[in-house]
Amino acid sequence: MDVPSPVEELVVGTLQVVLVLLVAPALLGITKAVKARLQYRRGPAVVQPYRDLAKWWRKESVESEAASLLTAIAPALVLAAIVVATLLVPIVGDRPPLTGWGDLLVVVGLMALARFVLALAALDAGSAFGGMGSSREVAIAALVEPALLLALAGAALAAGSTDLGVIARAGAAAGTAWLTPALLLGAGAFAVVALAETGHEPVDNPDTHLELTMVHEGMLLEASGPRLAILAYAAELRLVLVAGLFAAAFLPFGIASDVAPLPLLGAVAAALAKLTGAAVALAVVDATVAKLRILALPELLATASILALTGLAARLWLPA
Amino acid sequence: MPTASAVISGLPAALVVTTTVLLAVAALAGLVPGRTGRRMAHGLAGLACIGLVGLGISVLATGETATLRAGSVLGFALVDIRVDPLAALFLATLGVAGAASSAYGIGYGSTGAHMPAGRDRTTVAYPLFLASLALVFAAGDAFAFLFAWEAMALSSAVLVVGARPSGSVARAGYFYLAFTHLATAALVTAFAILTAAAGTSSFAAFGAAAAGLPRLVRDVVFLLVLIGFGTKAGAMPLHVWLPRAHPVAPSHVSALMSGVMIKTGVYGLVRVALEVLGPGPEWWGLLILGVGVVSAILGVLYALMEHDLKRLLAFHSIENVGIILIGLGIALIAAGAGAAPLAGLALTAALFHTLNHALFKSVLFLAAGSVQDAVGSRDLNVLGGLARLMPITTLAFAVGAAAISGLPPLNGFASEWLTFQGLLSAGAEESLTPLARSAALVAVGGLGLTAALAVACFVKATGVGFLALPRSAGAAAARETSRWMGAAMLALAGACVAVGLAAGPLAAGIGEIAAGVVTGEPVPVTLAPVPVGPGLGGAVYAAGAIGLLLAGIALATWLVGIRPRAVRRAPTWTCGIEPAPAFEYTATSYAKLIRLYFGRILRPAREIAVELHPGTPFPRTVRYRGEATHVIDERLYGPLHRAAVGAAQLARRLQNGSLQLYLVYTVVAVVILLVLAR
Repeated sequence: MDVPSPVEELVVGTLQVVLVLLVAPALLGITKAVKARLQYRRGPAVVQPYRDLAKWWRKESVESEAASLLTAIAPALVLAAIVVATLLVPIVGDRPPLTGWGDLLVVVGLMALARFVLALAALDAGSAFGGMGSSREVAIAALVEPALLLALAGAALAAGSTDLGVIARAGAAAGTAWLTPALLLGAGAFAVVALAETGHEPVDNPDTHLELTMVHEGMLLEASGPRLAILAYAAELRLVLVAGLFAAAFLPFGIASDVAPLPLLGAVAAALAKLTGAAVALAVVDATVAKLRILALPELLATASILALTGLAARLWLPA
Repeated sequence: MPTASAVISGLPAALVVTTTVLLAVAALAGLVPGRTGRRMAHGLAGLACIGLVGLGISVLATGETATLRAGSVLGFALVDIRVDPLAALFLATLGVAGAASSAYGIGYGSTGAHMPAGRDRTTVAYPLFLASLALVFAAGDAFAFLFAWEAMALSSAVLVVGARPSGSVARAGYFYLAFTHLATAALVTAFAILTAAAGTSSFAAFGAAAAGLPRLVRDVVFLLVLIGFGTKAGAMPLHVWLPRAHPVAPSHVSALMSGVMIKTGVYGLVRVALEVLGPGPEWWGLLILGVGVVSAILGVLYALMEHDLKRLLAFHSIENVGIILIGLGIALIAAGAGAAPLAGLALTAALFHTLNHALFKSVLFLAAGSVQDAVGSRDLNVLGGLARLMPITTLAFAVGAAAISGLPPLNGFASEWLTFQGLLSAGAEESLTPLARSAALVAVGGLGLTAALAVACFVKATGVGFLALPRSAGAAAARETSRWMGAAMLALAGACVAVGLAAGPLAAGIGEIAAGVVTGEPVPVTLAPVPVGPGLGGAVYAAGAIGLLLAGIALATWLVGIRPRAVRRAPTWTCGIEPAPAFEYTATSYAKLIRLYFGRILRPAREIAVELHPGTPFPRTVRYRGEATHVIDERLYGPLHRAAVGAAQLARRLQNGSLQLYLVYTVVAVVILLVLAR
């Protein structure tokens, strides 16, 4: 493949930035709408998340008297980390907007940065709910991160690089030959941890504010007004990020390596289809799977790690 | 090889002499009683540390090994200083951490009640400790090295017990001395074997001599070196002294012990295991890799169970040494398989993490010391609310916490990125055996677990210790630390940020040092404006660009969405009750889920004692005590300890105090000797 000119790169990059930033709340809307239909409810409109964001944006923020400066700056830091991570993932074109800035390890690191800041800010108001959400979030993350890294390591070894652009390109070029048994095991592991990473059943319930069950919502409990809008938007963007990461590593088909208008349009359609597919899949899981007891989570998430390790072992020990 | 009296000239020589003189004067100044002596000693020591940074940089810039040999006793050099690029890197690290710690030491104790009256032994020991650390890195000869090694152990032992020699502190010091002598015994044996083979005690001659040793002897030397340096580094299962000794030392000494002293073990392993002995068989590297993974995971798990801030940090030192050993293990495996680029990458990761850990662990210990000074306790459960009372200390601690958690764009992430790349590249390296490749990939999961648990632990330490409402009267009355201490902490926190943003050029420079160790041909170190990398398949991490973009987006969000918006302050909603610190999660409750998730390893023990109001079902007091069981302490050292005591009991029967019996022993011994020496 020829290296595209800077202008072409800019066009594809800008297209992805605009697409991702605009479409993120809609994914949450799709998940909620599909889930409602599956539960025989009418449910909110797909655009409801946009309305929520607009509503919170106009309101005032209420801050705890116990809070430090961190409560005010945390939303900005969380959003920045998630936005930069999203820009490192090839979603529309096989060259992500920030090509050459970082690889999948940087994406995982930025997600950890967002988690660190959010979990810390949740403790700032001195409320028991914040502590609950925060301590659960970091404990679950400890089970998620090994599985996430091992799953992505499978794709990295298959492509011979940890650069997500290179991985997506290698996968798109290989076609269905990309989906070796080893890689599929990794994809399965990633799918399981994606549920945890985006705060969905059976790990977290995105719809309740019941202290017995909540994880992510518990951390947002003290946020209000524009700060809540920023944090909620960051969570919506995180969904796009995780879905995009999955697509880049395991389903990179239809990604654009060309900047001609027609292939680019096809790539946008493919990206939208994959993201919508992820949103619908989450809704189906949410509606059909019961929440696991929080003490039973290690079984689920350790299974994911073992799936991923099995995939890696298959790559090393089985004849190609 | 320079002859007996080759003397280095120019800048390095001047710096060696200046530093030595400054430290000697500092130690003498420490004899002056009271605050004056304290300030002079620490001030002069700080200047000497700046000299060490200069010495390190001057050697790195030329790539030429600076040697200084003088005098001769029985054919051994009296003074033998040899600073090659590897030693220069460690000396520069010592210089930076030492300068900050010394500046902190100038102000330490001036605000709180911890200033001992009269002459303070620690003030004399401190410059000597720094000097011995410097000599460990600069020694070109096994004798000089062991001399410095022992001086370092003894001076630091004085620093550990000197300030407040109460029962538990004295016990910690005793523990520390016992283990450090175990390390020395192993090293003396190893160096004796190498000296006998080489006919000289100079490190430079060891390499050629080691190559000629039989395989079994080489293996024995490797194991001795691993025990000796592994103990000092705090690698599991030889770590048990570390969480006992580090917390009780004055905080700027804890910073140096955790930040630099345990790195002498890392330095020794690189110098002897990799440079002198290596390339060795695969199991050498696999063993170090295994020790690294176990130390990393167990270190952070035990840290999570701690609520003593400095003990928590001490366990994190074990974790970070584990991460360093992971890189070192891969480097050894790759060197043994002839994969020089991979060995260089993994060693770069280990050396870079060594530097980074010195920076962030120092700032964390200094901040913990300020907290102890201001609140009078290091128990996280009685801290809290310090963010508004001690903003500088909190900022420094938070930056250190983010850095040690391996979060971009700070320095810890850059070296962890390189370590991950080393592991993944080893997994992809065709010239390694499938066993080594599998081990590297399993270690990816282990390192990922470690990183996530480190995030959990530092959210706990920062959140419980510094945020929300003060949990005790002491915390509510806390005041910001003195100017010298604040400046030292901010300088180190700034260094964490700066090294994080400049990680690309620095990693490239350290990569040249690492390549020099692997190939044996050091070159001048240059700093190229490149991203961190390249890792597997040319992947890179553009640290500076990512950092600036993060800051830019965060600033824009702040300016648009947060700063201009209306904010009302109100009490936290606690279901209608007056908000109180009792509602906050404690350090213990925060880690509860992890305690349960990893119960198989941690085997938590707890006891709850409830006392009721007489005649009612209502509790008057509830006492909770819970702690993790330390598997290694219990399963390994418990039986060892019992066996040693049992053996001592048996031996005691020989000593019944009767003079006649002792004379019989003597006669029997003499007869046996005569028979044997016949």
